[in-house]
Amino acid sequence: MGNGPKHNLRKWNFPCASPLLLLILTLVLPGCGKGHKAGTNEVAVGVVLPITGREAKPGQFQREGIELAIHEINQNGGIFIRELDKRLPVKEVFYDDGSDQAKSAGLVERAMTSDGVVAVLGGYSTALGEAESVMPDRYETPWITTGAAASTIFSRGYQYIFGTLSPTDLLGYTTAEFLGSLVDHGKLKKGLKLALALENTDHGVDYGKGIDKWIEEHPGYFAVAFNEKFDLGSTDFSGLLQKVKNARADIFLADAHLQDYITMQRQYMQTGMYHQMISYGARGPESDARKALGDATNYIFAGIWWSAKLPYPQVKRFAADYQASVGRPPDSWYPATAYEAMRALATAIEQAGSLNKTAIRDHLREVELRDSLLPGQVLRFGQNGQIHTPFVIVENKPNDQVDIVYPPDAATGEAIAPKPR
Amino acid sequence: MSATDLLNLLIAALLLAGVYAVMSVGMTIIYGVMKIVNLAHAGFLMLGAYFVYELYTHLGIDPLLGVLLSFPVFFLIGMAVHRILVRRIPISDQPSLTSLLLLFGLWLVLQNLGYLVWGNSDRAILTPRTLDVLEIGPIGFPTVRLVVFGVALAALAGLEFVLHKTWFGRAVRALMQNNDAGRIVGVNVDRTARVAFGVGIAFAGVAGGLLAMLYSFSPDFGGPFLLRAFVIIVLGGLESFAGVAIGSLILALVETFGILALPANYQPAIAFSLLVVALVVLPGGVAGLWNRRRRLA
Repeated sequence: MGNGPKHNLRKWNFPCASPLLLLILTLVLPGCGKGHKAGTNEVAVGVVLPITGREAKPGQFQREGIELAIHEINQNGGIFIRELDKRLPVKEVFYDDGSDQAKSAGLVERAMTSDGVVAVLGGYSTALGEAESVMPDRYETPWITTGAAASTIFSRGYQYIFGTLSPTDLLGYTTAEFLGSLVDHGKLKKGLKLALALENTDHGVDYGKGIDKWIEEHPGYFAVAFNEKFDLGSTDFSGLLQKVKNARADIFLADAHLQDYITMQRQYMQTGMYHQMISYGARGPESDARKALGDATNYIFAGIWWSAKLPYPQVKRFAADYQASVGRPPDSWYPATAYEAMRALATAIEQAGSLNKTAIRDHLREVELRDSLLPGQVLRFGQNGQIHTPFVIVENKPNDQVDIVYPPDAATGEAIAPKPR
Repeated sequence: MSATDLLNLLIAALLLAGVYAVMSVGMTIIYGVMKIVNLAHAGFLMLGAYFVYELYTHLGIDPLLGVLLSFPVFFLIGMAVHRILVRRIPISDQPSLTSLLLLFGLWLVLQNLGYLVWGNSDRAILTPRTLDVLEIGPIGFPTVRLVVFGVALAALAGLEFVLHKTWFGRAVRALMQNNDAGRIVGVNVDRTARVAFGVGIAFAGVAGGLLAMLYSFSPDFGGPFLLRAFVIIVLGGLESFAGVAIGSLILALVETFGILALPANYQPAIAFSLLVVALVVLPGGVAGLWNRRRRLA
């Protein structure tokens, strides 16, 4: 009796068809957008974000921020287009990129070429944003990334790209500046050693550059005793943490995505190590992390682009509207930068008075939101298209309390440093 | 680095090897009996993680008990998947493109089902022992890793017992060694394959539950573990359970100690270099080398 394939037609048909059917269903369905060709009765705006896959959660939050802004704009009658002498509602053309780089770039291209959009918003995270960033100049369509901040995106001389996240090197710089302020206030000593464990992405590289820059500008405050990168989605950090331990540093600074932050912090706690201050870059106050780590998140500080605790009236209003819209408060900065991107775009379109994409691009360069939600309250795009609003430093405290501890004019609590053993 | 640090790292590597072994053994059973590379393994790891999580958060069932319960549940799921899908794949003594496509598609379906049911939040199981460390002198044993290692060892020992002391186990080993000879001596290939597939999926469910005690997870959980499982079963020899244990140990040791000499971002490169080396130098894996030496002796 042989083991070769059985030549049974009924049995052959199913195995050949079923995998293909499964593949088609699973690959095609998540990418289905509500693509359409826009007319002049609406302002079509492309939104390409991950709401499935690895980056699904922040992508979903960003989508909610954009949709809240669109809802508010439309409730106010839409955007006034001078050359048409009428107000037009904003129509969202949404695509889920499934956290896939190639798909992400393809969907931006599709929105720009087939859906008649005047601009595209999206690009969370750095990797997806980088993939998308090659399309705007090719199709002369403005693109505002709501969730990518790496300098590589904004240093290529592209003319149609904008971003509502401050650069990641500023995150590193502000982190070091905050630690420096603790030295100035006598909470930490001068000359402490830092151990840096950074994810092997442009985000991690920029974060490290920001820290290095501050240290260079302020000699004597800190010295880097250890600096190494790790791969995203690692299954084990024992070896890396052993190296951190061997460095005998005083402060541990990592830059990590949420899953790596949870895994690394669990293993960190199990090693019994102690550092006077710990940070995971922009991670720290997320509720998922608190659920996964419990008290092990206490005293971790993070540099974030936005906090619902910022003491501005427009932030309180936004937080209330967001809660009313989606049924939960903003968990982190994700919806705020996306909301601001849509508001900036709407302002630029209104100022352009036209649906001409180059005119909109020109006005995006000049747009200035003076009631911005973001730290500093003013949103304007820099020469490279990226905003430069300051970061806020938050610190987790016991009983799920999270305080803004830096800059002082936005602080809701005092920094606890060094962290208790 | 002190001797204590080295010992702590060695323990970390051993505990990691236990996790790797239990997550790889299910793939080995299925490959051994059916010559199918189960690309949906990661999907069942993910389902196992959510199964234990749901029992813990909604019914208050301890994750360890949840892991035990996952075995029969995933065994039945595996049998059902075999009956509905896998048995229709033409029998072959080589992995076929059809089986790869079918199981890859199944993985994607499971992933998307995961998104539908649980959404895209990162979940994690936090118990009082999650961050505990058992200290014996200067050596620290992370309690949860120790528990996971113990369960993994018990599961592998149970499998070893079944394979050597039961009719089903003998049938499985017979089919792994020689499918035709197995048939001639009266092994019911279809039934054995169905049960073996069920056992393989049950091990994936158990491994997923154990991994959920260590890592946070979302519906795309499992990918990095699947890749490591490939490395392990190629290293160990595609059809050898002892080889899986050795392969797991080698990978865990090399990953853990390798980054003492190399930057940590080379960790995946270390794992996949091992895969290439194994394919070129040891095509039969460690088990093949062992068998060759035994024959020569």
